[in-house]
Amino acid sequence: MKTLKLAVLLIALIFLNSCIDDDDPKLPKGDYENGYFIVNEGPFQNGSGTITFIDDDGIVSQNVYKTVNNEDIGNVVQSMTIVDDKAYIVVNNSHKIIVVNRYTMEKIAVIEGNNINNPRYFVAYGDTGYVSNWGDPFDPLDDFIALIDLNLNDVKNIIPVGEGPEEMLVENSKVYVNLQGGFGQNNQIVVIDTSSNSIDKSITVGDVPNSLITDNSGNIWVLCGGKPSWTGNESLGSLYRINTNNFDVSSFQFGATEHPEHLTGDAGSLFYNLNGKIFVMDFKSSELPDESLNGFDGFYYAMKANNGELFVTNAGNFSSEGTLKVFNINSGALIETITTGIIPGSIVFQE
Amino acid sequence: MKNIITFLILLTFSFSFSQNDSINKLEEIVLKGNFSPSLNSGYSIAIISDSILNSEYQNLGSLLQNQVNLYFKQNGNGMVSSISLRGTSASQTGVYWNGIAVNSSLNGQTDFNTLTASSFDEVEIRKGGGSVLLGSGAIGGAINLRDKIIFQNKKEGNIQMGYGSYQSFSAQLKGLYSSDKLFAKVSFGGSKSNNDYPYLNTDLINENGEYKNYNISGVLAYKINNKNQINFYTSIIDNDRNISNTLTAESNSKLLNFDSRFLFDWKNLGDRYTSSLKLAYLQEKFTYFFDKDLPNNSKGESKNLITKYDFTYFLNNNIFFNSGIEYKNSKGNGSSIPNVDQNDFTSYFLFHHQPTSKLNYNLSFRKGISTDYSIPFIYAIDGRYNFSTKFLIRANYATNYRLPTFNDLYWEPGGNSELKSEKSNSTEIGFEYTHKLLRFNITAFYIKSKDLIQWQPVTNTLWQPQNIQDVTNYGMELSAYAQKRINNHLLGLKIQYDYTISQDEELNKQLIYVPYHKANSILNYKYNKWNFTYNLQYTGEVFITTSNTQTLNAYWLSNITFNRSILKNKLKLSLIINNLFDENYQSVAFRPMPNRNFILNINLKI
Repeated sequence: MKTLKLAVLLIALIFLNSCIDDDDPKLPKGDYENGYFIVNEGPFQNGSGTITFIDDDGIVSQNVYKTVNNEDIGNVVQSMTIVDDKAYIVVNNSHKIIVVNRYTMEKIAVIEGNNINNPRYFVAYGDTGYVSNWGDPFDPLDDFIALIDLNLNDVKNIIPVGEGPEEMLVENSKVYVNLQGGFGQNNQIVVIDTSSNSIDKSITVGDVPNSLITDNSGNIWVLCGGKPSWTGNESLGSLYRINTNNFDVSSFQFGATEHPEHLTGDAGSLFYNLNGKIFVMDFKSSELPDESLNGFDGFYYAMKANNGELFVTNAGNFSSEGTLKVFNINSGALIETITTGIIPGSIVFQE
Repeated sequence: MKNIITFLILLTFSFSFSQNDSINKLEEIVLKGNFSPSLNSGYSIAIISDSILNSEYQNLGSLLQNQVNLYFKQNGNGMVSSISLRGTSASQTGVYWNGIAVNSSLNGQTDFNTLTASSFDEVEIRKGGGSVLLGSGAIGGAINLRDKIIFQNKKEGNIQMGYGSYQSFSAQLKGLYSSDKLFAKVSFGGSKSNNDYPYLNTDLINENGEYKNYNISGVLAYKINNKNQINFYTSIIDNDRNISNTLTAESNSKLLNFDSRFLFDWKNLGDRYTSSLKLAYLQEKFTYFFDKDLPNNSKGESKNLITKYDFTYFLNNNIFFNSGIEYKNSKGNGSSIPNVDQNDFTSYFLFHHQPTSKLNYNLSFRKGISTDYSIPFIYAIDGRYNFSTKFLIRANYATNYRLPTFNDLYWEPGGNSELKSEKSNSTEIGFEYTHKLLRFNITAFYIKSKDLIQWQPVTNTLWQPQNIQDVTNYGMELSAYAQKRINNHLLGLKIQYDYTISQDEELNKQLIYVPYHKANSILNYKYNKWNFTYNLQYTGEVFITTSNTQTLNAYWLSNITFNRSILKNKLKLSLIINNLFDENYQSVAFRPMPNRNFILNINLKI
């Protein structure tokens, strides 16, 4: 009888315990909830990109998508965007977008077909996803934004745009598309109205807009690299600020042969990489900084500032593993160096 | 085989009145030019005869892989296939056509899947550094594709046809006419295939892998008199390939290649000298369609005009001098190459000495000048010693170079006109044992290369080639061959094994796509008119990242061939089964190679 009581008690405890567990909001939603991702493009043509996960304790897991789904992601993993409880992995040369559970990395759906052609980046607003596509990279006239129905995971429409749509962001219920130029060079920002899903306007910026951020006070900042010297028509780099309320544009010019890239923002400042140096500028500043930050030198393949830390990647020789370095922005101290997959092209933080 | 025997008998006969060493060497140099054994005492030259080249239709890359244990990096079946000899890069193997260098002026390489084995009469494989005699690029070794000219009264025709898996068709027609003064040969053929084999253990097939190609070649030779002979050679190759999918990437791309080659050769033979004047015109063209359904494409073209004069003079029976000058004008243009015009002038000199009947050696050097880069002074010493009729030892030491290609120098963007040539020092020692029908060969080699040209990112969007890589290669090559005849049964076995280290000096890592181990065996059994061949190849693991963290699995590959000759040997029927055991293998990562496949081939002599 005693034994029975004990057994009942134990069962009750287990039951109770699991009930409590189920209701506990701190239960992990998956192995990849607390930490950040590195998206590695992988070798072009003969290989697959990978995703590296670094958890809050600094433990590194390589190739997490394959670990979970037992398949390669695909060739040239260009970017990954987190939207609510999902992540959208854009696989450029496999012409598809893989939808996964952001916490578990389990595959939910694949978006592919004729209307996904050399996809680059993904953003979402409401129930619609926006995917920039180059189409045939040698054809400057077939580039487009694919509109995805996020409930059906299917392309519902496309919006033709100029050559080389690249990064995008959503601000003030509009989608801002960076027309970097693909294999060529472009100089436009296309603004898509999300209510009509049509092009609201095009804003001319400097040559080769390569990255854009928002400063959370209604401005979009666009960093333009300028045309490189090998084009035979070299032009200056520039930084553009677009007011998203009245579309006023102001700009800052870089010096001759200066081609900045990797615009990122954190805590009232923007950062960029130029000539192997990192520069920081207050969003309110009226001119470009003269002095670079000490201790961060390097030509980086990707760069992101987040919560007082600067994350930079180096793709090395592009045919073996790259590295990620994390710096404390204030002290310049190198916090850690992490081996990534092949060609670490972007750093993705959980919101 | 029969041709060779006839040829040897003829050769022996025509000079039987003067069994003189120097005359034999003279004749050999006339025939074989810079690939003749006398000029290459310290090297071994493997010869693939027409009986093997013509046994059935296949591309030269596969044949060399099957027959002589060479390693090729194949981007899928029928796609671009590049060679690596002794762990060197594809552009460090010199490829020659009747003695004229034919590696692409654009990328420095030869794609062995564009060459049809049966369109040649003989292939010579000379491993080891050979830039002094052969020019730029012959660092790992050199391969010569030859047409043979024999003046005898003969008319011959040959039709070869094959049909196989994946809707593969092939045909090659050959006609030959020769008298004691005139020789004419024409060969043309081609192949096509859907090439849509299944990728083993997946639901995928090799999509967009279709290929078709044509080749035409011809030789016209006239023997003016006993001292003078003129030869005219031509070869035209037209290749149309789609670039197949990989496991992770779809492709709708297409690559067209068109190569045309013309060579005029005047040979003059004296009692004590040989002279050869060659004029060659080589043209290559490619067109690449990223999307084959669209007209957009990128193109490249080069045109080379080569004048080469080679002279050999015999001081006496034991000493001769060989010397040559070569002038080459190269023009290039294309979507990413500006109009370029380059002139190279090189000369070489070789001293051959045979102090005793057992020992002979060569000393040689080369120097050149160019409008575009400096061509280094290089030299070589090589020799062999015959301990007995059974046993010999040979050795060589050579300095070599490879000149930068048009792509390296002028590609827009990134081309670097400041590039120097790649340089290497190479040495080897080999032992050969021959007794009756048993042959055994062991060679150790060492190559130290510096200033190798590597394309590197200088910014995130711009790559540029630079002379930055230093590589050391060393290894061993073993081969053994034995034959046994019992009544009507003939059994032959050839086994080859190569061990290759190819190390990047900065990273201290093995280069990618160089297997440590590569082995090959061919078992041949003949009984009356039946013939059975079993070819077993082993390709060791290769690294696919420069950090040596990722590999491609090693694989065993078995191919078998059954032949039967009928109608008084006029007709030969063959059944070929490739990849007998359905090995799932990749030569290049993410590009699976074919599963088990079948080919039926007929060979008709008329």
